[in-house]
Amino acid sequence: MALLEVEDLCIDYKTKNGYLKAVDGVSFSLERGASLGFVGESGCGKTTIGMGLMGMLPPNGVVRRGRILFEGEDLLRVSAEEMRRVRWRKIAMIFQAAMNALNPVQRVGEQVAEAMLVHNPSLGKEKALKAVEELFELVGLQTDRIRDYPHQYSGGMKQRAIIAMSLACRPSLIIADEPTTALDVIVQDQILAEIRALQKEFNIGIIFISHDISIVADMCHDIGIMYAGQLVEYGPREDVFDSPAHPYTRALLSSFPTLTGKRTDLVPIAGETPDLVHPPEGCRFYDRCQEQIPACREKVSRWVAISPGHKALCCRCEMDGR
Amino acid sequence: MMENQGNAIIEIQNVSKVYRSRGALFGVRAKDVVALRQVSLKIYKGEIFGLVGESGSGKTTVGRLIVGLEEITSGEIFLDQENVTGLKGKALKAFRRKVQMIFQDPYQSLNPQRSVLDTVSEPLSIHRVGRSADRKEMAHKVLKSVGLSPPEAFFYRYPHRLSGGQRQRVAIARAMVLNPEFVIADEPTSMLDASISAQIFNILLKMRSTFHVTQMFITHSLAAARYLCDRIAVIYRGQVMEVGSGETIIRNPRHPYTQALIDALPKFKGSGEIKQYGTLLIEEREVNGEPMGCPFYPRCTVAEIRCEREIPGLRMLEEGHYVACFNV
Ligand SMILES: Nc1ncnc2c1ncn2[C@@H]1O[C@H](COP(=O)(O)OP(=O)(O)O)[C@@H](O)[C@H]1O
Ligand SMILES: Nc1ncnc2c1ncn2[C@@H]1O[C@H](COP(=O)(O)OP(=O)(O)O)[C@@H](O)[C@H]1O
Ligand code: SF4
Ligand SMILES: [Mg+2]
Ligand SMILES: [Mg+2]
Repeated sequence: MALLEVEDLCIDYKTKNGYLKAVDGVSFSLERGASLGFVGESGCGKTTIGMGLMGMLPPNGVVRRGRILFEGEDLLRVSAEEMRRVRWRKIAMIFQAAMNALNPVQRVGEQVAEAMLVHNPSLGKEKALKAVEELFELVGLQTDRIRDYPHQYSGGMKQRAIIAMSLACRPSLIIADEPTTALDVIVQDQILAEIRALQKEFNIGIIFISHDISIVADMCHDIGIMYAGQLVEYGPREDVFDSPAHPYTRALLSSFPTLTGKRTDLVPIAGETPDLVHPPEGCRFYDRCQEQIPACREKVSRWVAISPGHKALCCRCEMDGR
Repeated sequence: MMENQGNAIIEIQNVSKVYRSRGALFGVRAKDVVALRQVSLKIYKGEIFGLVGESGSGKTTVGRLIVGLEEITSGEIFLDQENVTGLKGKALKAFRRKVQMIFQDPYQSLNPQRSVLDTVSEPLSIHRVGRSADRKEMAHKVLKSVGLSPPEAFFYRYPHRLSGGQRQRVAIARAMVLNPEFVIADEPTSMLDASISAQIFNILLKMRSTFHVTQMFITHSLAAARYLCDRIAVIYRGQVMEVGSGETIIRNPRHPYTQALIDALPKFKGSGEIKQYGTLLIEEREVNGEPMGCPFYPRCTVAEIRCEREIPGLRMLEEGHYVACFNV
């Protein structure tokens, strides 16, 4: 049984202009200890998926449809009480910009201990502080920094503390939402290595969310490319990056500067993302797509299998049989 | 530095910048911050020069010193061989016509109370260029050149009705409207998505090819710098570590810090061709007493004894390639 299986997940936000379709028809699955990366530009729905999985959508967010099977149980159908037993204990999330949300007037070690006690009150303060020491060692923080305040930490250290918190209850799934976006490349590299090592050591499933293709390519076995609330391509990393099928994936890859690509290969994607309150009827990428054909606008795109495990949501791919 | 490579439009010589502490905040005397130490750079006519470094390395300070938004602690800055250090009043105003800066955050740099037309034509009225009708015409032209077209459709829009990419285009238009000689773009795409960043990169390239404006492109991304820039300077803790052509810096970096930066980049398409150097120490080395040597000494695997005590100056390794390291 897969650790996580998500089927046809649809999440809307109620806004004054109507329902904004932030996540629309997203399906994927994740095995125990495996890693899946979601890439896409800001606003494509990455964080919303994470919050949906955690059962932490803001008040105006509603799951319109779908199933979230975690260890075989549909999290959308369990009681709030049961969800509290899953959240943080079995599924943890490293929030975007979380390191800036540490309480400035409380010692870092205490904040980690508190995170642990909230979910496991019977542990007791003393044991919790002891466990914090272990967690600090685990994420590469010196234990003599436990009593320091956040301002005495560098960005990288704060992020390590956040990772320690997410590990507090030894979850089997961690959702990491842009965990290194605010960090410099050298620190980022160290944090990513740390996450990789922990994942392996504890056989944690990871959903890695980033707008940066290169990080996801480096970190994850499977990749989901998102555009305007939809998954548009999904598959093993090599397949998606070496033989991208969806025009958006191809466009995204060629808009990303690399150290070795030909300089002339950098091509921006013209235009901007569509309004998600009134998304286009057919393909959501239609307006910006270099490969559009009339059918793309007229009918709803369907998933096309490219190779085993590799698929794309594209009318043109369906037509060309690529 | 490089002597016979055409004319330097901007030259900065031995520039240092110290931010003095404001004194006894909360009873603790904060330390002075040495943001830049003895930085010398030449930027040649028509080039796009990349300044690459981590956050806090002093990139913005270099930009702000050049445009005169910040007072220099020591050293000199030249524009077209003319000393422009510490200009005031009229002279500063004349200088500002020639040298412009585009800031990182287009959400903060644009006045929310001003329409696009007002924003773009304001520099023209400040410098009393043209009459009102001419100004509108000039604004029209420059908005078109940054890809906001038709410009009329944007004239009376306010920043809150623009996307991040559109705001940054307006900021570029505002910087370009006076037809400056030199423009500094300070991480102009760090708040934007990849697809939109590439649009902005191409606009900067177009500014060079159509208006021949020389540029300094400030970024934390070596890949972006390589794409846009003819030459790149790598800066670390306020000091220039290496200068060379984009290709040299990527393919043949010689400074251990530049090498560590390249090692740290996520592995991606084609990065198999990039060498690994292993110049970064896992555990920082203890420094005895006040740090006074090479800024990279605490992290450097190839450091020698004198690296702890002496600051290496930039040395030429080959034509156009400079490195500040004793061990190269
Ligand atoms: N609380 C909210 N209310 C209304 N719209 C929201 C809310 N949160 C996010 N959105 C919208 O939902 C879409 C997806 O957002 P998000 O999941 O944050 O994207 P990402 O993480 O990929 O940047 C965006 O269009 C965003 O503007
Ligand atoms: N106004 C200021 N007062 C005090 N310190 C400053 C000020 N501006 C910048 N600094 C410090 O100077 C150093 C360089 O900053 P900056 O030029 O902004 O770096 P970068 O643009 O590379 O991130 C940093 O240590 C920063 O904290
Ligand atoms: S479905 Fe059509 S418009 Fe959409 S990405 Fe494919 S080719 Fe382009
Ligand atoms: Mg997000
Ligand atoms: Mg800066």
